[in-house]
Amino acid sequence: MYIMKRLFTMVITLWIIASVTFVIMHFIPGDPFATDGKMLPEKTVENMRAKYNLDEPLAVQYVLYIKDLVMFDLGPSIQSKTRGVNELVADGFGPSAILGIQSLVIALTLGIMLGVIAALYHNRLLDYISMLIAIIGISIPNFILAPLLIKFLGVDWGLFPVAAWGTWQHTILPSIALATGPLAIITRFVRSSMLEVLDENYIQTAQAKGVSTMGVVIKHGIRNALIPVISFIGPLFASIITGTFVIEKIFAIPGIGKYFVDSIFNRDYPVIMGTTIFFSLILVVTLFLIDLTYRLVDPRIKLTSGGK
Amino acid sequence: MNFKKTFLVISTVFILILAACGGEATNVSSEEAVTQEITANLGGEPYTVDPAFASDTTSYWVIDHLYEGLYRYDEEGEVVEGAASDIDVSEDGTIYTFTIRDDAEWSNGDTLTADDFEYAWKRILDPETAAYDPSQFYYIAGAEEYNNGEGDVEDVQIIAEDDHTLVVELEHPVQFFPTVVLNHGYLPVNKNVVEEDEDWAADEESIITNGSYIVSVWKHDDHLTLEKNENYWNIDAITMDTIDFKMIEDTTTEYQMYQSGALDLVTSLPSEAIAQEKDSDEFINHPSFSVYTYTFNVEEEPFTNAKIRKALSYAIDREAITENISQGGEIPAYGYVANGITTPADQDFREEAEPYYTFDVDKAQELLEEGLAEEGWDELPTFALKYNSEDNHKKIAESLQEMFKQNLELEVTLENQEWNTFIDTFKQKNFQIARMGWVGDFLDPYPVLDLYTTNSSSNFTNWSNEEFDALLEESLTEQDEEKRFELLHAAEEVLMEDMPVIPILFSATNGLMSEKVDGILFDPLNQPNLRYAERIAE
Repeated sequence: MYIMKRLFTMVITLWIIASVTFVIMHFIPGDPFATDGKMLPEKTVENMRAKYNLDEPLAVQYVLYIKDLVMFDLGPSIQSKTRGVNELVADGFGPSAILGIQSLVIALTLGIMLGVIAALYHNRLLDYISMLIAIIGISIPNFILAPLLIKFLGVDWGLFPVAAWGTWQHTILPSIALATGPLAIITRFVRSSMLEVLDENYIQTAQAKGVSTMGVVIKHGIRNALIPVISFIGPLFASIITGTFVIEKIFAIPGIGKYFVDSIFNRDYPVIMGTTIFFSLILVVTLFLIDLTYRLVDPRIKLTSGGK
Repeated sequence: MNFKKTFLVISTVFILILAACGGEATNVSSEEAVTQEITANLGGEPYTVDPAFASDTTSYWVIDHLYEGLYRYDEEGEVVEGAASDIDVSEDGTIYTFTIRDDAEWSNGDTLTADDFEYAWKRILDPETAAYDPSQFYYIAGAEEYNNGEGDVEDVQIIAEDDHTLVVELEHPVQFFPTVVLNHGYLPVNKNVVEEDEDWAADEESIITNGSYIVSVWKHDDHLTLEKNENYWNIDAITMDTIDFKMIEDTTTEYQMYQSGALDLVTSLPSEAIAQEKDSDEFINHPSFSVYTYTFNVEEEPFTNAKIRKALSYAIDREAITENISQGGEIPAYGYVANGITTPADQDFREEAEPYYTFDVDKAQELLEEGLAEEGWDELPTFALKYNSEDNHKKIAESLQEMFKQNLELEVTLENQEWNTFIDTFKQKNFQIARMGWVGDFLDPYPVLDLYTTNSSSNFTNWSNEEFDALLEESLTEQDEEKRFELLHAAEEVLMEDMPVIPILFSATNGLMSEKVDGILFDPLNQPNLRYAERIAE
């Protein structure tokens, strides 16, 4: 019952997002056919608009779009004459997801480790080192970090390929660049929530009962400290596996991240819609899975379909 | 005798062994050892390889290497007959008869016929196709009417009389029609293939070409590989076997890839790198056939007065802009038509004309005063300079603001908009003065000047001048090349005298080319021609 209801709300949410995006998108000034400097004759532009149904009233366009959407057809791309939006998403999602998952694994493992160490050595050297790493991670934006990684590890020392896609080696630098931001945030999250948890009565009880420090940290500490982290990971996961504009541009990754931004600049309406809907879909599904995970981590949280 | 022979054999064997052991030496002596492959950067995914829909230089670069039109560029970069073996022009200059080569074939083995050309051109003109630029065919009788939905396809004078004869009749004689035929839209497509599968241009297997190369790999957003087309009639002239196009959008990354040796050619450089690489032997700089301008709206005060418009032009120190701001080998523009067109006197069109203005502060102030007096104003109202948000445009706009302030004591505000919004504003003529750049479609002064005729769909200046219109119209039908160029010079003079648009500079392409490759051809209009290139070292 709970799951059915959730699925229903998910569909409604997606429909609302699609509709709002559709309306807002058509309010941006500009036209998909004026993306280069050349001014085409009015008639030529009219023919092109007709081809993509852009000459119809907005309401008709909306109905046509939703009709296709129900059939999981995201339509043609106006910019790319060779690939529809479905293909564009299908082609690009793979590389974006691989980078996203790799960097999330890096961010989570190192982030949790650093956070726990910082909390355990509160106000001591290891804490300061962890926090220094976290601050560097937050304050150096990845569009600065990425070219630096390329320059030193790629060009000067030749350890990794400079850019492009192909082998696993190609994924290393972008994964690192992508991981630093989330890593820093996770470290700080884990540290503060761990500090809070370590102060709790049940930790002292466990210690009093003679449980080893390791046991206390792993069994009681980390498990409880992770709950706030999980709620942060949901949206992070959704956004990181759907690619990032900056990293994909810099490393020339054939992902979908850049389409989120390029489509808006190009006024490529079907691609704006397609990428937005795809991201929303991943996000609502992730949030749903996160809710299920809460239950596993913390049995106190019950999944109910209302205020029962 | 016998001894001599034995000695010869032994010594030959010895030399061969030496050569084989030489390693490095063999590579130099026999060029066949070097794999003829070149890696260049497209700068992004080509949106299509169908000539009917291509609209961007990325797609054009690929398309140029895949198809061959009636004319082509030879090893020297000269325009010669391509898919046509013979071209006959009627005495009055209106009927072109193209004879298609007997040995011209498509990459799938089909014979290239006149019908393919007729089909390809009429397909672009068909309003249903919604092709990118049908107006490039409007010189042909019946074309514009059909494209606008006012005429029939039967009346379009593009007729394949038989498999090898294509007859085209023009609306009126157009001297420069052969350069128009070099346009991408005039390339042929394989009728059978296109009719069978409307998505034929989407992936490597279904793309059928008639030029030097075929597409062997197309990994979207990643790379595209071209291999020699074994069915191409002139295959022996093609020295480069494989072209590997990467799709790196970021110029800094592209530059770093080049430094690491992963690219042989880059055709854009981050502005920081230009200064650094300028003196390198690998640095390449070529003028491109395009002009960077500031355009007036002549119905918007204070630019209703020609003297005031000219005053601004005289107040601009263009050399300072090209040398200190853009810094990429751009040429200061003292006329409208960019360098690159050769006139009948074998001179460059631009060099042939005297500069229409200079950087002259006194003259600028004088013109401004006269203009103000003519309009009865005490001082020039403040006005806004509009440009689209981009670093270089911003720097140039700021320097103009400073020059107008220093030289004419004018208060100018700057307004910038994101490109697409800007284009919208521009088309609605919602500006006093705005930045705009134009790239020529073909190497002739006519199409770039024609932008400013009264009926041009690209004239957003509100400027209309009967003399200018008449001169251009006359030039279109003038059969004598020398007279035609005189008319074009005269038209440009009218334009610059009235100055609805201020030319600032003529753009240039900057890049780097590895010393391991040779023979890449550059011209002002197209992306580098790689087919005749040769790799001289691994």
